[in-house]
Amino acid sequence: MSLLTVDGLSVRFDTDDGPVHAVDRLSFSLAEREVLGVVGESGCGKSVSFMALLRLLPETAVVSGRAEFDGVDLLTIPSSRLRRVRGRQIAFVFQEPMTSLNPAFKVGRQIGEVLTRHLGLSRGEAERRTVELLDLVRIPAPDRRAREYPHQLSGGMRQRVMIAMALACAPKILIADEPTTALDVTIQAGILDLMRDIRERLGTAIVLITHNLGVVADVADRVIVMYAGRKAEEAPVGDLFAEPQHPYTNGLLGAVPRPSVEGPRARLREIPGRVPSLAELPGACAFAPRCPRADERSRSQVPELREVRPNHLVACFHPGPDLAQTG
Amino acid sequence: MRRRFLRRPLAVVGLVVALVFVLAAIFAPIVAPYSAGATDFNSILAHPSRHHLLGTDELGRDVFSRIVWGSRASIEAGVLATLLALCVAVPIGVVAGYYRGWVDTVIARLTDVLLAFPFLILAVGLAAILGPSLTNATIALGIGAAPGLIRIARGEALALREEDYVRAAVANGASDARILARHVLPNMLSTLIVQATVAIPAAIIGEAVLSFLGLGVQPPTPSWGVMLSDAQSYLSQAPRLAVYPGIAIFICSLSFNLLGDGLRDILDPRTTR
Repeated sequence: MSLLTVDGLSVRFDTDDGPVHAVDRLSFSLAEREVLGVVGESGCGKSVSFMALLRLLPETAVVSGRAEFDGVDLLTIPSSRLRRVRGRQIAFVFQEPMTSLNPAFKVGRQIGEVLTRHLGLSRGEAERRTVELLDLVRIPAPDRRAREYPHQLSGGMRQRVMIAMALACAPKILIADEPTTALDVTIQAGILDLMRDIRERLGTAIVLITHNLGVVADVADRVIVMYAGRKAEEAPVGDLFAEPQHPYTNGLLGAVPRPSVEGPRARLREIPGRVPSLAELPGACAFAPRCPRADERSRSQVPELREVRPNHLVACFHPGPDLAQTG
Repeated sequence: MRRRFLRRPLAVVGLVVALVFVLAAIFAPIVAPYSAGATDFNSILAHPSRHHLLGTDELGRDVFSRIVWGSRASIEAGVLATLLALCVAVPIGVVAGYYRGWVDTVIARLTDVLLAFPFLILAVGLAAILGPSLTNATIALGIGAAPGLIRIARGEALALREEDYVRAAVANGASDARILARHVLPNMLSTLIVQATVAIPAAIIGEAVLSFLGLGVQPPTPSWGVMLSDAQSYLSQAPRLAVYPGIAIFICSLSFNLLGDGLRDILDPRTTR
Protein backbone atom coordinates (compact mmCIF):
# COMPACT_ATOMS: atom_id res chain seq x y z
CA MET A 1 0.00 0.00 0.00
CA SER A 2 1.43 3.30 -0.88
CA LEU A 3 1.56 5.90 1.85
CA LEU A 4 2.19 8.94 -0.24
CA THR A 5 1.34 9.31 -3.92
CA VAL A 6 2.62 12.34 -5.76
CA ASP A 7 1.24 12.95 -9.21
CA GLY A 8 2.47 15.56 -11.68
CA LEU A 9 4.06 17.87 -9.13
CA SER A 10 5.37 21.05 -10.75
CA VAL A 11 6.93 24.03 -9.05
CA ARG A 12 7.49 27.29 -10.85
CA PHE A 13 9.03 30.47 -9.54
CA ASP A 14 8.00 33.62 -11.34
CA THR A 15 11.05 35.82 -11.17
CA ASP A 16 11.87 39.16 -12.76
CA ASP A 17 13.81 37.27 -15.42
CA GLY A 18 10.84 35.12 -16.32
CA PRO A 19 9.54 31.83 -14.96
CA VAL A 20 11.92 29.26 -13.51
CA HIS A 21 10.70 25.66 -13.61
CA ALA A 22 12.24 24.16 -10.51
CA VAL A 23 10.26 20.93 -10.69
CA ASP A 24 8.57 19.60 -13.81
CA ARG A 25 5.78 17.00 -13.56
CA LEU A 26 7.32 14.83 -10.91
CA SER A 27 5.38 11.70 -9.97
CA PHE A 28 6.35 9.03 -7.48
CA SER A 29 4.98 7.04 -4.61
CA LEU A 30 6.29 6.04 -1.25
CA ALA A 31 5.34 2.76 0.42
CA GLU A 32 5.13 2.12 4.12
CA ARG A 33 8.49 1.27 5.72
CA GLU A 34 10.26 2.19 2.51
CA VAL A 35 13.47 4.18 2.32
CA LEU A 36 13.43 6.28 -0.83
CA GLY A 37 16.64 7.93 -1.94
CA VAL A 38 16.37 11.08 -4.04
CA VAL A 39 19.62 11.95 -5.77
CA GLY A 40 20.76 14.80 -7.94
CA GLU A 41 23.10 17.75 -8.22
CA SER A 42 22.50 20.97 -6.29
CA GLY A 43 19.61 22.86 -7.81
CA CYS A 44 18.00 19.88 -9.51
CA GLY A 45 14.79 20.42 -7.56
CA LYS A 46 15.06 17.58 -5.08
CA SER A 47 14.68 19.70 -1.96
CA VAL A 48 12.15 22.00 -3.56
CA SER A 49 9.88 19.07 -4.45
CA PHE A 50 9.59 17.95 -0.86
CA MET A 51 9.33 21.44 0.56
CA ALA A 52 6.48 21.94 -1.90
CA LEU A 53 4.67 18.88 -0.56
CA LEU A 54 4.39 20.44 2.88
CA ARG A 55 3.87 23.89 1.36
CA LEU A 56 7.03 25.27 2.93
CA LEU A 57 8.06 27.31 -0.09
CA PRO A 58 7.76 31.09 -0.21
CA GLU A 59 4.63 32.52 -1.74
CA THR A 60 6.41 33.27 -4.99
CA ALA A 61 6.36 29.54 -5.78
CA VAL A 62 3.55 28.31 -7.99
CA VAL A 63 2.87 24.67 -7.15
CA SER A 64 0.58 22.37 -9.11
CA GLY A 65 -0.16 18.67 -9.14
CA ARG A 66 -1.53 16.31 -6.50
CA ALA A 67 0.03 14.82 -3.41
CA GLU A 68 -2.19 12.27 -1.79
CA PHE A 69 -1.44 11.34 1.78
CA ASP A 70 -3.83 9.62 4.15
CA GLY A 71 -6.77 10.28 1.85
CA VAL A 72 -6.19 14.02 1.44
CA ASP A 73 -4.39 16.16 -1.10
CA LEU A 74 -1.64 17.98 0.79
CA LEU A 75 -1.50 20.69 -1.84
CA THR A 76 -5.10 21.80 -1.39
CA ILE A 77 -6.14 21.13 2.22
CA PRO A 78 -6.53 24.23 4.41
CA SER A 79 -3.35 25.32 6.16
CA SER A 80 -4.80 24.66 9.60
CA ARG A 81 -5.19 20.99 8.67
CA LEU A 82 -1.82 20.92 6.97
CA ARG A 83 -0.23 22.11 10.21
CA ARG A 84 -1.47 18.94 11.89
CA VAL A 85 0.21 16.87 9.20
CA ARG A 86 3.48 18.74 9.49
CA GLY A 87 5.59 17.31 12.27
CA ARG A 88 2.94 14.87 13.45
CA GLN A 89 2.66 12.67 10.35
CA ILE A 90 5.36 13.96 8.05
CA ALA A 91 8.46 15.28 9.75
CA PHE A 92 11.33 17.17 8.17
CA VAL A 93 15.01 17.10 9.11
CA PHE A 94 17.04 19.85 7.51
CA GLN A 95 20.56 20.04 6.25
CA GLU A 96 21.90 22.46 8.80
CA PRO A 97 22.15 20.85 12.22
CA MET A 98 24.28 23.70 13.50
CA THR A 99 21.56 26.30 13.12
CA SER A 100 18.33 24.32 13.19
CA LEU A 101 17.98 24.35 16.96
CA ASN A 102 16.77 27.37 18.88
CA PRO A 103 19.83 28.66 20.77
CA ALA A 104 17.71 30.12 23.57
CA PHE A 105 16.45 26.87 25.10
CA LYS A 106 17.87 23.61 26.37
CA VAL A 107 17.50 20.78 23.87
CA GLY A 108 15.44 18.67 26.25
CA ARG A 109 12.93 21.45 26.57
CA GLN A 110 12.71 21.87 22.80
CA ILE A 111 11.90 18.20 22.33
CA GLY A 112 9.63 18.14 25.35
CA GLU A 113 7.66 21.02 23.95
CA VAL A 114 6.84 19.09 20.79
CA LEU A 115 5.57 16.27 22.99
CA THR A 116 3.40 18.36 25.29
CA ARG A 117 2.12 20.37 22.38
CA HIS A 118 1.39 17.73 19.75
CA LEU A 119 0.72 14.69 21.93
CA GLY A 120 -0.65 16.38 25.04
CA LEU A 121 1.79 14.67 27.41
CA SER A 122 2.26 16.08 30.89
CA ARG A 123 5.54 17.74 31.80
CA GLY A 124 6.91 14.73 33.64
CA GLU A 125 5.90 12.28 30.91
CA ALA A 126 7.42 14.54 28.28
CA GLU A 127 10.67 14.69 30.21
CA ARG A 128 10.84 10.93 30.45
CA ARG A 129 9.96 10.46 26.80
CA THR A 130 12.58 13.06 25.78
CA VAL A 131 15.29 11.04 27.44
CA GLU A 132 13.99 7.91 25.72
CA LEU A 133 14.09 9.65 22.35
CA LEU A 134 17.61 10.92 22.90
CA ASP A 135 18.57 7.40 23.84
CA LEU A 136 16.87 6.08 20.69
CA VAL A 137 19.04 8.35 18.52
CA ARG A 138 22.02 7.01 20.47
CA ILE A 139 23.08 10.09 22.35
CA PRO A 140 25.23 8.99 25.27
CA ALA A 141 24.15 10.16 28.74
CA PRO A 142 20.80 11.39 27.38
CA ASP A 143 19.51 12.73 30.69
CA ARG A 144 22.54 14.98 31.02
CA ARG A 145 22.47 16.08 27.37
CA ALA A 146 18.80 16.99 27.66
CA ARG A 147 19.79 19.69 30.10
CA GLU A 148 22.34 21.27 27.76
CA TYR A 149 22.01 24.10 25.30
CA PRO A 150 22.50 23.52 21.55
CA HIS A 151 25.87 25.29 21.52
CA GLN A 152 27.21 22.73 23.97
CA LEU A 153 26.58 19.89 21.51
CA SER A 154 28.64 18.88 18.47
CA GLY A 155 27.23 18.92 14.95
CA GLY A 156 26.53 15.19 14.83
CA MET A 157 24.91 15.38 18.22
CA ARG A 158 22.69 18.26 17.12
CA GLN A 159 21.62 16.35 14.03
CA ARG A 160 20.67 13.45 16.31
CA VAL A 161 18.66 15.86 18.42
CA MET A 162 16.91 17.12 15.29
CA ILE A 163 16.09 13.55 14.32
CA ALA A 164 14.86 12.83 17.84
CA MET A 165 12.62 15.88 17.60
CA ALA A 166 11.33 14.78 14.22
CA LEU A 167 10.57 11.31 15.61
CA ALA A 168 8.88 12.69 18.72
CA CYS A 169 5.38 12.32 17.31
CA ALA A 170 6.10 8.97 15.62
CA PRO A 171 5.54 10.35 12.12
CA LYS A 172 4.65 8.04 9.27
CA ILE A 173 7.18 9.71 6.98
CA LEU A 174 10.53 11.24 7.83
CA ILE A 175 11.94 13.50 5.15
CA ALA A 176 15.65 14.02 5.66
CA ASP A 177 17.09 16.76 3.46
CA GLU A 178 20.83 16.16 3.17
CA PRO A 179 21.01 15.04 6.79
CA THR A 180 24.67 14.14 6.64
CA THR A 181 26.13 16.78 4.35
CA ALA A 182 27.41 19.06 7.09
CA LEU A 183 28.93 16.24 9.12
CA ASP A 184 32.18 14.30 9.32
CA VAL A 185 32.33 11.03 7.42
CA THR A 186 32.42 8.87 10.54
CA ILE A 187 29.47 10.73 11.99
CA GLN A 188 27.66 10.43 8.65
CA ALA A 189 27.91 6.67 8.92
CA GLY A 190 26.45 6.82 12.41
CA ILE A 191 23.48 8.89 11.26
CA LEU A 192 22.80 6.57 8.31
CA ASP A 193 23.00 3.62 10.63
CA LEU A 194 20.48 5.37 12.83
CA MET A 195 18.14 5.87 9.86
CA ARG A 196 18.19 2.15 9.14
CA ASP A 197 17.56 1.42 12.77
CA ILE A 198 14.59 3.81 12.87
CA ARG A 199 13.01 2.12 9.90
CA GLU A 200 13.49 -1.30 11.47
CA ARG A 201 12.24 -0.38 14.90
CA LEU A 202 9.56 2.23 14.23
CA GLY A 203 8.49 1.31 10.71
CA THR A 204 8.86 4.91 9.57
CA ALA A 205 9.06 5.49 5.84
CA ILE A 206 12.09 7.65 5.08
CA VAL A 207 12.84 9.95 2.18
CA LEU A 208 16.54 10.59 1.99
CA ILE A 209 17.43 13.59 -0.12
CA THR A 210 21.11 13.68 -0.97
CA HIS A 211 23.68 14.32 -3.63
CA ASN A 212 25.78 11.46 -2.39
CA LEU A 213 25.21 8.17 -4.19
CA GLY A 214 27.22 6.35 -1.55
CA VAL A 215 24.68 7.36 1.08
CA VAL A 216 21.87 6.05 -1.10
CA ALA A 217 23.60 2.75 -1.83
CA ASP A 218 23.93 2.27 1.89
CA VAL A 219 20.38 2.70 3.09
CA ALA A 220 17.82 3.23 0.33
CA ASP A 221 15.44 0.59 -1.05
CA ARG A 222 14.57 2.55 -4.14
CA VAL A 223 16.21 5.53 -5.81
CA ILE A 224 14.97 8.46 -7.86
CA VAL A 225 17.60 10.31 -9.86
CA MET A 226 16.59 13.86 -10.68
CA TYR A 227 18.06 16.17 -13.26
CA ALA A 228 17.02 19.76 -13.96
CA GLY A 229 13.68 19.42 -12.20
CA ARG A 230 12.72 16.14 -13.87
CA LYS A 231 12.94 12.54 -12.89
CA ALA A 232 15.67 10.99 -15.00
CA GLU A 233 15.60 7.49 -13.62
CA GLU A 234 13.89 5.48 -10.94
CA ALA A 235 14.82 1.96 -9.87
CA PRO A 236 15.33 -0.37 -6.93
CA VAL A 237 18.71 0.41 -5.50
CA GLY A 238 20.35 -2.87 -6.59
CA ASP A 239 19.22 -2.46 -10.21
CA LEU A 240 20.31 1.13 -10.34
CA PHE A 241 23.85 0.33 -9.31
CA ALA A 242 24.06 -2.88 -11.32
CA GLU A 243 22.55 -1.60 -14.53
CA PRO A 244 22.21 2.17 -14.60
CA GLN A 245 20.18 3.17 -17.66
CA HIS A 246 20.30 6.94 -17.93
CA PRO A 247 23.60 8.41 -19.14
CA TYR A 248 23.37 10.91 -16.28
CA THR A 249 23.17 8.13 -13.72
CA ASN A 250 26.09 6.48 -15.46
CA GLY A 251 27.98 9.73 -15.19
CA LEU A 252 27.19 10.07 -11.51
CA LEU A 253 28.35 6.54 -10.81
CA GLY A 254 31.53 7.17 -12.75
CA ALA A 255 32.25 10.11 -10.49
CA VAL A 256 32.06 8.07 -7.29
CA PRO A 257 35.46 7.02 -6.01
CA ARG A 258 35.69 3.31 -5.20
CA PRO A 259 38.59 1.39 -3.83
CA SER A 260 39.94 -1.24 -6.20
CA VAL A 261 42.17 -3.97 -4.92
CA GLU A 262 43.49 -5.27 -8.18
CA GLY A 263 44.54 -3.41 -11.27
CA PRO A 264 45.48 0.21 -11.79
CA ARG A 265 43.30 2.74 -10.09
CA ALA A 266 40.54 3.91 -12.37
CA ARG A 267 40.49 7.60 -12.99
CA LEU A 268 37.37 9.37 -11.72
CA ARG A 269 35.26 10.67 -14.53
CA GLU A 270 33.48 13.97 -14.42
CA ILE A 271 30.36 14.90 -16.31
CA PRO A 272 31.32 17.53 -18.88
CA GLY A 273 29.44 20.81 -19.07
CA ARG A 274 27.29 22.30 -16.38
CA VAL A 275 23.77 22.15 -15.02
CA PRO A 276 21.38 23.95 -17.36
CA SER A 277 19.55 27.06 -16.23
CA LEU A 278 16.03 26.16 -15.25
CA ALA A 279 14.68 29.35 -16.74
CA GLU A 280 14.98 28.06 -20.30
CA LEU A 281 13.28 24.72 -20.48
CA PRO A 282 13.96 23.61 -24.02
CA GLY A 283 11.80 21.16 -25.91
CA ALA A 284 14.56 18.63 -25.60
CA CYS A 285 16.23 16.32 -23.16
CA ALA A 286 17.70 18.63 -20.52
CA PHE A 287 20.80 16.47 -20.33
CA ALA A 288 21.44 16.48 -24.08
CA PRO A 289 24.13 19.20 -24.09
CA ARG A 290 26.27 17.14 -21.69
CA CYS A 291 25.38 13.72 -22.99
CA PRO A 292 27.72 11.50 -25.03
CA ARG A 293 24.73 9.61 -26.45
CA ALA A 294 22.70 12.65 -27.51
CA ASP A 295 21.46 12.75 -31.09
CA GLU A 296 18.98 14.76 -33.13
CA ARG A 297 16.02 13.23 -31.35
CA SER A 298 17.37 14.11 -27.89
CA ARG A 299 17.82 17.68 -29.01
CA SER A 300 14.34 18.13 -30.44
CA GLN A 301 12.07 16.04 -28.19
CA VAL A 302 11.58 15.60 -24.47
CA PRO A 303 12.07 11.93 -23.59
CA GLU A 304 9.17 10.55 -21.56
CA LEU A 305 9.65 8.08 -18.73
CA ARG A 306 9.30 4.47 -19.79
CA GLU A 307 9.73 1.20 -18.04
CA VAL A 308 12.74 -0.61 -19.43
CA ARG A 309 12.50 -3.39 -16.89
CA PRO A 310 10.02 -4.06 -14.09
CA ASN A 311 10.05 -1.08 -11.70
CA HIS A 312 12.93 0.48 -13.58
CA LEU A 313 11.90 3.76 -15.20
CA VAL A 314 14.13 5.94 -17.30
CA ALA A 315 13.63 9.11 -19.32
CA CYS A 316 16.09 8.61 -22.14
CA PHE A 317 15.98 7.66 -25.83
CA HIS A 318 19.17 5.64 -25.51
CA PRO A 319 19.06 3.87 -22.17
CA GLY A 320 21.54 1.27 -21.04
CA PRO A 321 24.59 0.87 -18.86
CA ASP A 322 27.67 2.74 -19.91
CA LEU A 323 29.80 0.23 -21.78
CA ALA A 324 33.00 2.12 -21.24
CA GLN A 325 32.55 1.80 -17.53
CA THR A 326 31.07 -1.62 -16.99
CA GLY A 327 32.93 -3.34 -19.77
CA MET B 1 28.54 35.25 31.49
CA ARG B 2 28.88 36.76 34.95
CA ARG B 3 32.64 36.47 34.70
CA ARG B 4 32.62 38.20 31.32
CA PHE B 5 30.63 41.05 32.85
CA LEU B 6 32.90 41.35 35.86
CA ARG B 7 35.90 41.67 33.56
CA ARG B 8 34.57 45.04 32.40
CA PRO B 9 35.29 47.51 35.22
CA LEU B 10 33.32 50.37 33.63
CA ALA B 11 30.21 48.23 33.32
CA VAL B 12 30.54 47.13 36.93
CA VAL B 13 30.88 50.75 38.06
CA GLY B 14 27.82 51.61 35.96
CA LEU B 15 25.83 48.81 37.56
CA VAL B 16 26.84 49.81 41.09
CA VAL B 17 26.12 53.51 40.60
CA ALA B 18 22.80 52.82 38.86
CA LEU B 19 21.84 50.55 41.75
CA VAL B 20 22.75 53.29 44.24
CA PHE B 21 20.39 55.69 42.45
CA VAL B 22 17.60 53.12 42.30
CA LEU B 23 17.99 52.27 45.99
CA ALA B 24 18.14 55.97 46.89
CA ALA B 25 14.87 56.49 45.04
CA ILE B 26 13.18 53.55 46.74
CA PHE B 27 14.45 54.34 50.23
CA ALA B 28 14.33 58.13 49.91
CA PRO B 29 12.55 58.58 53.29
CA ILE B 30 15.40 56.77 55.03
CA VAL B 31 18.31 58.14 53.00
CA ALA B 32 17.31 61.80 52.90
CA PRO B 33 18.06 63.65 56.16
CA TYR B 34 15.17 66.09 55.65
CA SER B 35 11.83 65.87 53.90
CA ALA B 36 11.76 67.37 50.43
CA GLY B 37 9.63 70.34 51.36
CA ALA B 38 11.07 71.13 54.81
CA THR B 39 12.12 74.78 54.85
CA ASP B 40 14.61 76.34 57.21
CA PHE B 41 14.35 80.11 56.94
CA ASN B 42 17.33 80.56 59.24
CA SER B 43 19.63 79.16 56.58
CA ILE B 44 18.64 80.35 53.15
CA LEU B 45 21.07 79.75 50.29
CA ALA B 46 23.43 78.31 52.88
CA HIS B 47 26.77 76.87 51.90
CA PRO B 48 27.43 73.15 52.35
CA SER B 49 27.87 72.36 56.02
CA ARG B 50 27.55 69.62 58.56
CA HIS B 51 23.79 70.15 58.76
CA HIS B 52 23.21 70.60 55.07
CA LEU B 53 25.55 68.37 53.13
CA LEU B 54 25.11 70.25 49.85
CA GLY B 55 23.78 73.51 51.29
CA THR B 56 20.25 74.88 51.02
CA ASP B 57 18.23 76.59 48.32
CA GLU B 58 16.39 79.89 48.23
CA LEU B 59 13.68 78.59 50.59
CA GLY B 60 16.15 76.96 52.96
CA ARG B 61 15.40 73.44 51.71
CA ASP B 62 18.17 70.88 51.99
CA VAL B 63 19.64 70.35 48.50
CA PHE B 64 20.95 66.85 49.19
CA SER B 65 17.53 65.73 50.41
CA ARG B 66 15.86 67.22 47.37
CA ILE B 67 18.26 65.43 45.04
CA VAL B 68 17.51 62.13 46.80
CA TRP B 69 13.77 62.72 46.58
CA GLY B 70 14.14 64.02 43.04
CA SER B 71 15.72 60.73 41.97
CA ARG B 72 12.27 59.17 42.39
CA ALA B 73 10.84 61.21 39.52
CA SER B 74 13.89 60.50 37.35
CA ILE B 75 14.06 56.76 37.97
CA GLU B 76 10.29 56.39 37.72
CA ALA B 77 10.16 58.28 34.44
CA GLY B 78 13.24 56.49 33.12
CA VAL B 79 12.09 52.97 33.91
CA LEU B 80 8.37 53.33 33.27
CA ALA B 81 8.80 55.27 30.04
CA THR B 82 11.17 52.58 28.77
CA LEU B 83 8.77 49.80 29.77
CA LEU B 84 5.93 51.63 28.07
CA ALA B 85 8.04 52.09 24.93
CA LEU B 86 8.89 48.38 24.91
CA CYS B 87 5.25 47.36 25.37
CA VAL B 88 4.21 49.54 22.47
CA ALA B 89 7.15 48.97 20.16
CA VAL B 90 7.90 45.26 20.43
CA PRO B 91 4.50 43.89 19.31
CA ILE B 92 4.31 46.40 16.46
CA GLY B 93 7.88 45.80 15.33
CA VAL B 94 7.66 42.02 15.58
CA VAL B 95 4.38 41.82 13.66
CA ALA B 96 5.77 44.09 10.96
CA GLY B 97 9.04 42.21 10.65
CA TYR B 98 7.60 38.72 10.84
CA TYR B 99 4.59 39.07 8.56
CA ARG B 100 6.11 41.57 6.08
CA GLY B 101 3.62 42.66 3.43
CA TRP B 102 1.85 46.00 3.30
CA VAL B 103 1.44 46.19 7.08
CA ASP B 104 5.21 46.20 7.35
CA THR B 105 5.58 48.85 4.68
CA VAL B 106 3.09 51.16 6.41
CA ILE B 107 4.64 50.66 9.86
CA ALA B 108 8.20 51.07 8.58
CA ARG B 109 7.42 54.29 6.74
CA LEU B 110 5.47 55.74 9.69
CA THR B 111 8.41 54.90 11.93
CA ASP B 112 10.75 56.67 9.55
CA VAL B 113 8.55 59.76 9.68
CA LEU B 114 8.50 59.75 13.48
CA LEU B 115 12.24 59.15 13.62
CA ALA B 116 12.75 62.31 11.58
CA PHE B 117 11.70 64.26 14.70
CA PRO B 118 14.35 64.40 17.42
CA PHE B 119 13.32 62.36 20.45
CA LEU B 120 13.07 65.38 22.79
CA ILE B 121 11.07 67.50 20.35
CA LEU B 122 8.61 64.63 19.97
CA ALA B 123 8.37 64.19 23.74
CA VAL B 124 7.98 67.94 24.35
CA GLY B 125 5.19 68.11 21.79
CA LEU B 126 3.38 65.11 23.25
CA ALA B 127 3.78 66.40 26.82
CA ALA B 128 2.41 69.77 25.79
CA ILE B 129 -0.66 68.07 24.32
CA LEU B 130 -1.18 65.75 27.31
CA GLY B 131 -0.70 68.45 29.94
CA PRO B 132 1.93 68.84 32.62
CA SER B 133 2.34 66.03 35.16
CA LEU B 134 4.87 63.32 35.86
CA THR B 135 2.52 60.64 34.50
CA ASN B 136 1.96 62.50 31.27
CA ALA B 137 5.66 63.24 30.90
CA THR B 138 6.36 59.53 31.32
CA ILE B 139 3.77 58.64 28.68
CA ALA B 140 5.19 61.27 26.33
CA LEU B 141 8.73 59.97 26.81
CA GLY B 142 7.58 56.39 26.33
CA ILE B 143 5.82 57.14 23.08
CA GLY B 144 8.71 59.33 21.99
CA ALA B 145 11.13 56.43 22.47
CA ALA B 146 8.90 53.89 20.71
CA PRO B 147 9.83 54.56 17.03
CA GLY B 148 13.48 53.70 17.57
CA LEU B 149 12.54 50.51 19.38
CA ILE B 150 10.00 49.57 16.70
CA ARG B 151 12.75 49.77 14.15
CA ILE B 152 15.04 47.58 16.22
CA ALA B 153 12.34 45.00 16.98
CA ARG B 154 11.36 44.90 13.32
CA GLY B 155 14.95 44.44 12.21
CA GLU B 156 15.46 41.59 14.66
CA ALA B 157 12.23 39.90 13.59
CA LEU B 158 13.22 40.24 9.94
CA ALA B 159 16.51 38.51 10.64
CA LEU B 160 15.10 35.85 12.95
CA ARG B 161 12.33 34.75 10.61
CA GLU B 162 15.00 33.54 8.22
CA GLU B 163 16.73 31.41 10.83
CA ASP B 164 16.92 27.69 10.18
CA TYR B 165 15.26 26.89 13.48
CA VAL B 166 12.25 28.98 12.52
CA ARG B 167 12.06 27.11 9.22
CA ALA B 168 12.37 23.83 11.09
CA ALA B 169 9.61 24.86 13.49
CA VAL B 170 7.28 25.68 10.58
CA ALA B 171 8.07 22.35 8.97
CA ASN B 172 7.21 20.60 12.19
CA GLY B 173 3.81 22.17 12.53
CA ALA B 174 4.30 25.20 14.80
CA SER B 175 1.71 27.97 14.54
CA ASP B 176 2.67 31.61 13.98
CA ALA B 177 1.84 32.58 17.56
CA ARG B 178 4.02 29.77 18.82
CA ILE B 179 6.94 30.73 16.59
CA LEU B 180 6.74 34.33 17.73
CA ALA B 181 6.55 33.37 21.40
CA ARG B 182 9.11 30.56 21.35
CA HIS B 183 11.58 31.42 18.66
CA VAL B 184 11.44 35.09 17.73
CA LEU B 185 10.91 36.88 21.06
CA PRO B 186 13.35 34.88 23.21
CA ASN B 187 16.11 35.32 20.67
CA MET B 188 15.68 39.07 20.43
CA LEU B 189 15.55 39.48 24.21
CA SER B 190 19.23 40.29 24.67
CA THR B 191 19.07 43.02 22.04
CA LEU B 192 15.97 44.45 23.70
CA ILE B 193 17.59 44.43 27.14
CA VAL B 194 20.54 46.36 25.77
CA GLN B 195 18.27 48.84 24.03
CA ALA B 196 16.27 49.29 27.22
CA THR B 197 19.36 50.19 29.24
CA VAL B 198 20.20 52.76 26.58
CA ALA B 199 16.65 54.12 26.54
CA ILE B 200 16.53 54.59 30.32
CA PRO B 201 19.18 57.37 30.50
CA ALA B 202 17.58 59.08 27.52
CA ALA B 203 14.28 59.08 29.36
CA ILE B 204 15.95 60.33 32.57
CA ILE B 205 17.40 63.28 30.71
CA GLY B 206 14.06 63.72 28.94
CA GLU B 207 12.23 63.87 32.26
CA ALA B 208 14.65 66.54 33.50
CA VAL B 209 14.14 68.56 30.32
CA LEU B 210 10.35 68.31 30.48
CA SER B 211 10.34 69.26 34.18
CA PHE B 212 12.74 72.11 33.50
CA LEU B 213 10.33 73.40 30.87
CA GLY B 214 7.41 73.02 33.25
CA LEU B 215 5.90 70.12 31.31
CA GLY B 216 6.78 67.41 33.81
CA VAL B 217 6.90 67.33 37.58
CA GLN B 218 5.24 70.37 39.09
CA PRO B 219 6.82 72.24 41.99
CA PRO B 220 6.98 71.89 44.92
CA THR B 221 7.46 68.17 44.18
CA PRO B 222 11.22 67.78 43.79
CA SER B 223 12.77 66.72 40.51
CA TRP B 224 16.20 67.38 39.10
CA GLY B 225 14.67 69.31 36.22
CA VAL B 226 12.56 71.44 38.59
CA MET B 227 15.65 72.16 40.72
CA LEU B 228 17.58 73.27 37.65
CA SER B 229 14.72 75.50 36.63
CA ASP B 230 14.49 77.06 40.12
CA ALA B 231 18.24 77.59 40.21
CA GLN B 232 18.17 79.80 37.13
CA SER B 233 17.24 82.93 39.13
CA TYR B 234 20.09 82.39 41.57
CA LEU B 235 22.85 81.47 39.13
CA SER B 236 25.03 84.45 40.10
CA GLN B 237 24.53 84.10 43.85
CA ALA B 238 24.56 80.33 44.22
CA PRO B 239 25.64 78.50 41.07
CA ARG B 240 25.93 75.28 43.10
CA LEU B 241 22.11 75.05 43.06
CA ALA B 242 22.36 74.29 39.35
CA VAL B 243 25.57 72.30 39.55
CA TYR B 244 24.42 69.60 41.99
CA PRO B 245 21.25 68.46 40.18
CA GLY B 246 23.21 68.74 36.94
CA ILE B 247 25.84 66.38 38.30
CA ALA B 248 23.10 64.03 39.52
CA ILE B 249 21.55 63.89 36.03
CA PHE B 250 24.97 63.40 34.47
CA ILE B 251 26.13 60.60 36.76
CA CYS B 252 22.78 58.81 36.78
CA SER B 253 22.41 58.70 33.01
CA LEU B 254 26.10 57.89 32.54
CA SER B 255 25.82 54.92 34.90
CA PHE B 256 22.92 53.45 32.93
CA ASN B 257 24.81 54.06 29.69
CA LEU B 258 27.91 52.26 30.96
CA LEU B 259 25.74 49.41 32.17
CA GLY B 260 24.08 49.23 28.75
CA ASP B 261 27.45 49.20 26.97
CA GLY B 262 28.66 46.40 29.19
CA LEU B 263 25.50 44.37 28.64
CA ARG B 264 25.77 44.85 24.90
CA ASP B 265 29.31 43.57 24.92
CA ILE B 266 28.36 40.37 26.68
CA LEU B 267 24.87 39.75 25.31
CA ASP B 268 25.10 40.78 21.67
CA PRO B 269 26.60 37.93 19.69
CA ARG B 270 27.55 40.26 16.86
CA THR B 271 30.19 42.13 18.83
CA THR B 272 33.44 40.22 19.12
CA ARG B 273 33.99 38.56 22.42
